[in-house]
Amino acid sequence: MRIGKEFTKGVIAENPLFVQVLGTCPALAVTTSVNNALGMGVAFTAVLVCSNLVISILRKAVPSDIRIPSYIVVIASFVTMIEMIMNAFSPALYSALGIFIPLIVVNCVILGRAEAFAGKNAALPSIADGLGMGLGYTLAIVAISSIREILGAGTFLGYPILGSAYEPILIMILPAGAFITMGFLFAGMNIINRRQAAKKEVM
Amino acid sequence: MNQKVFKLTAFLLIVCGVSALLIAYINDITIDRIAAQNAQALQEGYTEVYPEASEYSETEYTGSDAAITDVVSAKKDGQEVGVIYTVAPGGYGGAVLTLVGFDIETQKITGIKVLKQSETPGLGGNCTQPWFAARFAGKSAAQPLKAVKTETSSDQEVQAITAATITSTAVVTGINAAQADFAANYANR
Amino acid sequence: MELFALIFGSIFISNIVLAQFLGICPFLGVSKDIKSAFGMGLSVMFVMILSSTICWLVYTFLLVRFDLEYLKTIAFILTIAALVQLLEMFLKKNVPALYKSMGVYLPLITTNCAILGIALLNIQENYNLIYTLANAFANSAGFTLALVLMAGIRERLDEADVPDAMKGLPIVFFVASSMGLAFVGFTGMI
Repeated sequence: MRIGKEFTKGVIAENPLFVQVLGTCPALAVTTSVNNALGMGVAFTAVLVCSNLVISILRKAVPSDIRIPSYIVVIASFVTMIEMIMNAFSPALYSALGIFIPLIVVNCVILGRAEAFAGKNAALPSIADGLGMGLGYTLAIVAISSIREILGAGTFLGYPILGSAYEPILIMILPAGAFITMGFLFAGMNIINRRQAAKKEVM
Repeated sequence: MNQKVFKLTAFLLIVCGVSALLIAYINDITIDRIAAQNAQALQEGYTEVYPEASEYSETEYTGSDAAITDVVSAKKDGQEVGVIYTVAPGGYGGAVLTLVGFDIETQKITGIKVLKQSETPGLGGNCTQPWFAARFAGKSAAQPLKAVKTETSSDQEVQAITAATITSTAVVTGINAAQADFAANYANR
Repeated sequence: MELFALIFGSIFISNIVLAQFLGICPFLGVSKDIKSAFGMGLSVMFVMILSSTICWLVYTFLLVRFDLEYLKTIAFILTIAALVQLLEMFLKKNVPALYKSMGVYLPLITTNCAILGIALLNIQENYNLIYTLANAFANSAGFTLALVLMAGIRERLDEADVPDAMKGLPIVFFVASSMGLAFVGFTGMI
């Protein structure tokens, strides 16, 4: 049951993007379409789970002094492998995500989870942690991209869903729109947190 | 102290070594598939851009324009009837790999096709759509083209994608590089 | 002339933070006051120019020579991590004043996607060494500009009447979007 908890915490309570505010660069850059966000989410989760697993297995063998460089090598290796696999099996997505695929290496979430969790826990909980954080991050960026794509292009996953009479709000697809969407979503988080804190005080 | 440094370095080297081997392995597995995919996309692009040819053969590009990465001769029954250029102008999010086809007899653009791009989906990303490519088909190869935001007022103007001027201008720049070479080498045959 | 267009373009038109979305974490985290924003900006400039150059050299004279281009991600991030580590050790020992003012940002810079991002972009755009240096300088200048501007605004935001839900990160995002829109105006200049 503990494993289940390691999984679910990453989805809501400790959501990497909305709660920990990590991994913001890709969240702004690749969320112009739900398709791209999903692709990034899957790639990200794959790297996170693999690196969590390997780092967890090696955790007792890694000397503490060079653990950060070692983690970086492990993470960078998986990113390079995922990059090649994406280029081979989904070249359109590979082009669309562009430079943000290799930038998964410096996504603070992955190094953060390696340092905070995988380096100190067994393999199975680490996998659960990786899956949970990956799912949480994917859901977060899919949420952002849904708003941006539906409002900014009138489509969802490329399918026009608002009809041809809809005039897209172009700014949502532009960089400024990314900031605006994030602003509203974080404001929403603030409101939710405030209500929960108020409830706890009453109790 | 030295023993410790030695141990740390050795460990790091082992990790790097194993990683490099794994990466090399995956590279081996995927590299052929990637090359095959690229080759197929190119062939399909050639057929789309200049459909009336029976074969396409690589020619040597002897010019100095860095924008032109490849020149292919379109032949019908052994005779060269068209030229297809591969250009890679810089767009908003990276290079926009484009094929441009010219017909020698009519001195016109037969078609274009964007093969690879990293532009904004829904905006510049629409440069791959047939309706954008259609704006270039039939344009004369005698003069360079110009991207305009509003309705076109002359034959040498092409309407840009709404709110995607940078992408549209990039494609036009690439086409113009090909047009310059075509006009210089294939104009009076 | 083309070099000038590159520099101008990288600072204003496709600003690294506001248009390319690299370096958002420090942009949100270290932009609370102008002094620390400037410090972070200069630290990034120093590391970016140095790391871009070394990564370009590593790529051109090592990776390409041995047909190992696909190892560039891992080679670059290791180079950057090593560079930052050496820089920290060097500053701590030789220029303690500088270490005190800039040193705290250095560990953060290793995971700054701007540093790795620009190093990779230099290769993607096939820049030679001069263009790489110019690109690194211009982008880090653009980064510093965005950070300092944001810090200036945030210092004044403290006295503004911000709605409760917007306090903290949300209002920073809205300010960033306005800044981004303003910078779009530069597109017509080139």
